[in-house]
Amino acid sequence: MMQYLVILLDDTSVSYCHADNPYKERRLINLDDLRAGIRYAMTENLMIQFVYPDYALPKEYLDVIDTIDHHDIVPYPLKGDVVVIENGELRVENLADAVVVVRLKKAELFDSGEAIAATLPKVQRLNVVVTDLETFTDEDLKRYNTLLDQWAAVLNAEYLHGRTPQLNLLTDRMMLTKPNHCNAGVENITLAPDGRFYICPDFYYSQAEPVGDLQSGPAIPNQQLLRLDHTPLCRHCDAYHCRRCVWMNRQTTLEVNTPSHEQCIVAHTERNAARRLLESIRKEATFMPEVEIKEIDYLDPFDVRKEW
Amino acid sequence: MQKVRKNDNAWQSGRAKNITFIVTKDCQLACKYCYLVGKNVKERMSWETAKAFIDYVLSHENEFREESVVWDFIGGEPFLEIELIDKICDYLKLRMFELNHHWFNSYRFSFSTNGINYHTPEVQNFIQKNREHLSIGITIDGTEKKHDLNRVWKQATPNANGITQPSERGSYKDVVKNIPLWLSQFPDAGTKVTISSADIPYITESVLHLYSLGIHQVNINVVFEDVWQEGDDKRFEEQLMQLADAIIDGGWYQDYACSFFSEHIGKPLDPELDNQNWCGAGRMLSVDAAGNLYPCTRFAQYSLRSKKALVIGNIHDGINQNLLRPFLTLDRTTQSPQKCLDCEVASGCAWCQGENYDAAQTNTIYERSTAICLMHKARVRANNYYWNKLYRKLELEGRREEYEANKRDVKPEIC
Repeated sequence: MMQYLVILLDDTSVSYCHADNPYKERRLINLDDLRAGIRYAMTENLMIQFVYPDYALPKEYLDVIDTIDHHDIVPYPLKGDVVVIENGELRVENLADAVVVVRLKKAELFDSGEAIAATLPKVQRLNVVVTDLETFTDEDLKRYNTLLDQWAAVLNAEYLHGRTPQLNLLTDRMMLTKPNHCNAGVENITLAPDGRFYICPDFYYSQAEPVGDLQSGPAIPNQQLLRLDHTPLCRHCDAYHCRRCVWMNRQTTLEVNTPSHEQCIVAHTERNAARRLLESIRKEATFMPEVEIKEIDYLDPFDVRKEW
Repeated sequence: MQKVRKNDNAWQSGRAKNITFIVTKDCQLACKYCYLVGKNVKERMSWETAKAFIDYVLSHENEFREESVVWDFIGGEPFLEIELIDKICDYLKLRMFELNHHWFNSYRFSFSTNGINYHTPEVQNFIQKNREHLSIGITIDGTEKKHDLNRVWKQATPNANGITQPSERGSYKDVVKNIPLWLSQFPDAGTKVTISSADIPYITESVLHLYSLGIHQVNINVVFEDVWQEGDDKRFEEQLMQLADAIIDGGWYQDYACSFFSEHIGKPLDPELDNQNWCGAGRMLSVDAAGNLYPCTRFAQYSLRSKKALVIGNIHDGINQNLLRPFLTLDRTTQSPQKCLDCEVASGCAWCQGENYDAAQTNTIYERSTAICLMHKARVRANNYYWNKLYRKLELEGRREEYEANKRDVKPEIC
């Protein structure tokens, strides 16, 4: 069931997920389309997430935005509910109340171990998004595992002192008893500056086909394939924190319901690190007793799929 | 002992890797029902491409662990390239031996041919050379009238895009003359018959005609494409019931088989226990003249009406394993609409992954085409009639128990 409407206010709105935004020229959403999008959200009971560009919007846009409850996703250093940092230093001063999203490439990630570790005690929640996940190799995975353990040590100390900063890569799985995927096209849909609907911002940024317009509303062909029950691998998987990114699926396997090997092994490396962190915290305190993360001997569910 | 001939399964069915060389996209014929919509005279495989493909496959033994292999040659008409094929097969045998490859003593060369060049010295020499490792099927559709309805020669000149066009000249006489030679060399061989809307009135006479030619196994199916007219299912059912009467009353069932009739079809399927994918796309591998690799030939561009080719790699870079994952995780329930999951006669209702992809509203292999739904249900009704009639006959003759005790458990062959 749809719950959220993401509205990209401008072609240069910040990307907060895997795909880079290739658009360099400003193009604001038409004001009438913005109003129509808000009206659509109100009639469908959807919470709106506005995604901002890096410049100040005209007052008439801000006035329209202000007519509805919403969340703001903004590029750093703007102020919002979600602040996205990319291509720059990890600065989180004055962001204690925001969700901080850091977008970086694998090489930057491996250079940012210390910086992220130092940031964790200063934020309420940090989402690390690796934008070239599809390039992960077995060697990268070893380095990644080491990084996760390094961050887990920091989180372990914080949690034992009663502070609970969140790092999407580790603490999400530690607190989940069921899948918590992105669910683009199922629980959320995106209205782009061209006045048309897309499965998510990444589909718009990669110039995919729209799935409806404001006149007729969204109509996603083969929408069932976006649902968890139509994913032969994921529906049996307990890497509950995985984004199950349907855009990345389509990029790498050509099917929205099939994850790549790389997406699976990275998610399972995180899952296993979360398991170790949970065990570590539980040595000192009772924590999330309802959560169980079993020990497994694979990283890619494809390797243990049911063979017919 | 009372005999009832069962449908034959392919060699090492389910245990062999099926690897297909699309050696040419040319054919002497331009069959009206052919799913190969892009046949042309230009795309012929070179020896360099074939060799590079073989070297790739045989040097990646760990990625191809099936205990056996079927090296399949397809076109167009594969025997148009008999010289290349002979060279390929010699090289395959040599390299499998030199590498001590686990397929060396467990391989087949397989051909599906229109039969026109079957008698030529080049083809006959090839057959003599590889007789012990060879399967050849000749396609003949039945009576001359039925065969020539669809299986016609191509026009001498292709259209402006280089695509071959059908003529009015049927090919029956050019094929049937080679049937005795073929059956003398492959007595157990079967033929493949394809039924589309216009063929329905000729089914009974065609199957019986093929039996009379000495072909004991008739593998027959309706096309998966959405070609069916209103009332075709009723006409189809009527034809199959006539065929059932003819086979049983004429005693043909003892030594001849027709794949339309199977005890395994027409039952509900369990969503958990019977969730396997029918189609072998992805477990198979095909290569074309450009050196591109496909999960099945049906995903090459010349097979597709409305979608782009689904290329999973090439002979230089190998297979992109991520592109195979959707094929290897595909199951019946995920791709099927609810009406198929609820269907009480679901077993035996097949699909073609390539046709599903081509007909789907998005670029997915996960949307099952149900164009044959009514035809399958008609087949099931006629099939029920066949087995009820046959068993009653055996019962009255006091031979049913003997039959039940001796029958083989033959599962439908997976594509």
